[in-house]
Amino acid sequence: MSAGPALAGRLQRTQRLLALGFVLALGVAWFASAGRVPAYVLPPPSEVAAAVVAFATSAQRLPHLFATLGHIASAIAISFVLGALLAFAAHYARWSAPAIHQRLSPFLSAFSGIGWTLLAVIWFGVSSFTVVFTIVAVLLPFALVNLREGLIALDKELLEMGASFGRGRWRSWRLLVAPALLPFAAATLRIMFGVAWKVTLTAELFGGGRGLGYVINIARQDYDTPTLFAVILFIIIAVTLADRLLFGPLERLTTRQFGAAS
Amino acid sequence: MSTGRRSAALWFADTLVVLAIAVWAIGAANLPEFVLPGPVAVGKRLIALFTDSDFLVHTIASTVRVIGSVVIALLIGGGLAVIARAVPVLDGIVSGVIQPFLNAFPSIGWAILAAIWFTPGHFSIVFVQVAILAPFCLINVAEGLRQIDRELLEMATSYTRNRTRIVIRVGLPLLLPYLMGALRIAYGVAWKIALVAELLGSTSGLGFLMLRAQGSADLTTVLAACLAIVALFYAGERLLLEPLSRRFSAK
Repeated sequence: MSAGPALAGRLQRTQRLLALGFVLALGVAWFASAGRVPAYVLPPPSEVAAAVVAFATSAQRLPHLFATLGHIASAIAISFVLGALLAFAAHYARWSAPAIHQRLSPFLSAFSGIGWTLLAVIWFGVSSFTVVFTIVAVLLPFALVNLREGLIALDKELLEMGASFGRGRWRSWRLLVAPALLPFAAATLRIMFGVAWKVTLTAELFGGGRGLGYVINIARQDYDTPTLFAVILFIIIAVTLADRLLFGPLERLTTRQFGAAS
Repeated sequence: MSTGRRSAALWFADTLVVLAIAVWAIGAANLPEFVLPGPVAVGKRLIALFTDSDFLVHTIASTVRVIGSVVIALLIGGGLAVIARAVPVLDGIVSGVIQPFLNAFPSIGWAILAAIWFTPGHFSIVFVQVAILAPFCLINVAEGLRQIDRELLEMATSYTRNRTRIVIRVGLPLLLPYLMGALRIAYGVAWKIALVAELLGSTSGLGFLMLRAQGSADLTTVLAACLAIVALFYAGERLLLEPLSRRFSAK
């Protein structure tokens, strides 16, 4: 710790430089690979760039992007609300707690995402409903488990103090419980967003007629690897940016504002 | 009295489970078998998955690959975390480039790429599963390394200059809970998400079995395979991971 801020700053700069160098080296290696391997195995950067441009300007493909975003947003919203309802039910109606936390939650957490996809395709056909159903089924246990942690962590003393100031249950809920839950809600959303991307494309590939999963399925059948790379590249950038610029700051903000002082 | 109420709630929970199975049975009786097969048929198929050699091949293939992938992913993810910690200048590469890249990479993307790059087989599937699981291990082990008490390491240094000894006697025991955490998360994700590797370019495994059964509208096998995955997941949790983590996370 005697290193001092100057040394720490220099370390950070070296780290950034090396990271940048690493990315550049990968890029150069990718360029150098062009022509040595068939384009369907590893398409050169120029072809992938062309595929990105073609994707972004294509009136046929852009709607697929919005379809995927719509699937993810609605699935996160539905599973968050369902998870919250179940977590509150178990918290406030104790008799339902074992049914929810010891029977439903473990079952859902162990159920395979692919299983949900294949079942949903049979039950609901190829549709957006199938895709959203699958994502909700996978995300629900994450929401349930994380929000339960938040409810367990509620400060009993604080609630008691609140009760000594006023008997309004809604008021104490709004002023004490909800703010204390916000950091957990933010963390839950962040986790759900990450997991949602992992299952959405699979669900769309097998069970959706729309979305990026559908696009990569077509690309796969046509051996159109540049489009495949373009979609994957886009997802990596979008997920990382959303996590860094939206969910990370949201989590930090709610933790700083309302979190426990630890 | 509190134990009485607890068991009452548990009774209620189990009643709900029985009720759910009853509803399933009644629903199945009124629906065609390719929409919803009954619990008895699914139960029989579930047993067949563990006894009938035609099915057992797939169950074993998936199980062995899941275990292998989890171990390899832990070695690679944990190894990267250790490298970033031991050589701080490389941390920018590991936590700034490799981790977000692997973390955000769509799992089906790996499956498709592996189907293009490799011939179908065990290697291709394990590659996909490791690629999906490694970031989870990396994040957990890196977190464990961050939480290691520097004071304790300093104290150890005051006793001996032998770094290997410090790592084995102090560093590793402090890290074990996080290694166990990484192992459990990776194991869960392997069964739930990484099985997608078996859907493309595979001829064995529960994922392949489910996709083939779905193609022929054999919902009995799809449901039985889903329940087999739930059973295998809990068998691993209860018989292996929980005893291990109890043993290693005790102070």
